[in-house]
Amino acid sequence: MAGELALVADILSIISLFVGIFFLSVGMIGLLRLPDVYNRLHATTKVGTLGAFGVLLSILFQEGATPMGIKAFTVGLFILLTSPISGHMIARAAYRMGVKLCAGTCLDEYAGQRKD
Amino acid sequence: MKRRLIIYMGLPVIWCLVSGQVTIGSIFLGFIFGMVVVQPFSKLYRMDEVVTPTGDWLAKIPKKLVYFYVLIKEIIKANIVVAKIVLSPKIDIKPGIVAVPIRTKTNIGITGIANTITLTPGTLTVDISDDQKVLYVHSIDSTDPQGLRESIRDDLEKYVLEAFE
Repeated sequence: MAGELALVADILSIISLFVGIFFLSVGMIGLLRLPDVYNRLHATTKVGTLGAFGVLLSILFQEGATPMGIKAFTVGLFILLTSPISGHMIARAAYRMGVKLCAGTCLDEYAGQRKD
Repeated sequence: MKRRLIIYMGLPVIWCLVSGQVTIGSIFLGFIFGMVVVQPFSKLYRMDEVVTPTGDWLAKIPKKLVYFYVLIKEIIKANIVVAKIVLSPKIDIKPGIVAVPIRTKTNIGITGIANTITLTPGTLTVDISDDQKVLYVHSIDSTDPQGLRESIRDDLEKYVLEAFE
């Protein structure tokens, strides 16, 4: 019974590891392929979150409720909490520094809203 | 109860999670670290404000669970959408910044809706207006700004309003 449980944990761990690595790779490809800062942030904030969460979830499945597993889960929760905030701060800072939107942009309702 | 006391009680729990073990020693260590870490930030938060913990917060826990379910569903959807865009042979996107009016009033509600927007498909919060009524959202597909506003209002803001306000 214990052996079967370990096998299930191994399979879940490998699946989540592959999902995590796949999405992290997609995030990095997106960083290279997408045209400007704002679109690249789409790739890193969203895809990075699920990618990192997948890898950490794989550690949790492998280790169970040991100190290492709990640590991995906590780190995952913090990434979930901080990644959108950092994305928002980078986008805002970029816009205020005057980084232009890319050529295909068809709408900008933020223009002229900030005087400083 | 003062907010400072609640934070002093909460930080040892986080330290236990980060260090991965729940012992008397790690709770004590977390308590000391918590007091040291809080000190530089005490000007940013109203530490001496009296907070009354009410049953209202507990009553909203089912709503919060629904919100987290929606959030996880949206995160997975967002990842698939972005992966599709990134892996398509020719990147064909029409990005733009859309002004989205919001109904949330409290700080925690605004933070919640802004973070949820960032983690959901094709949208990224850039800034909030000075009167805290309009969010500026960068969208990867802004051909239909009205539809985007409606989808944020109906699909996301409803849950945030129920869970946090």
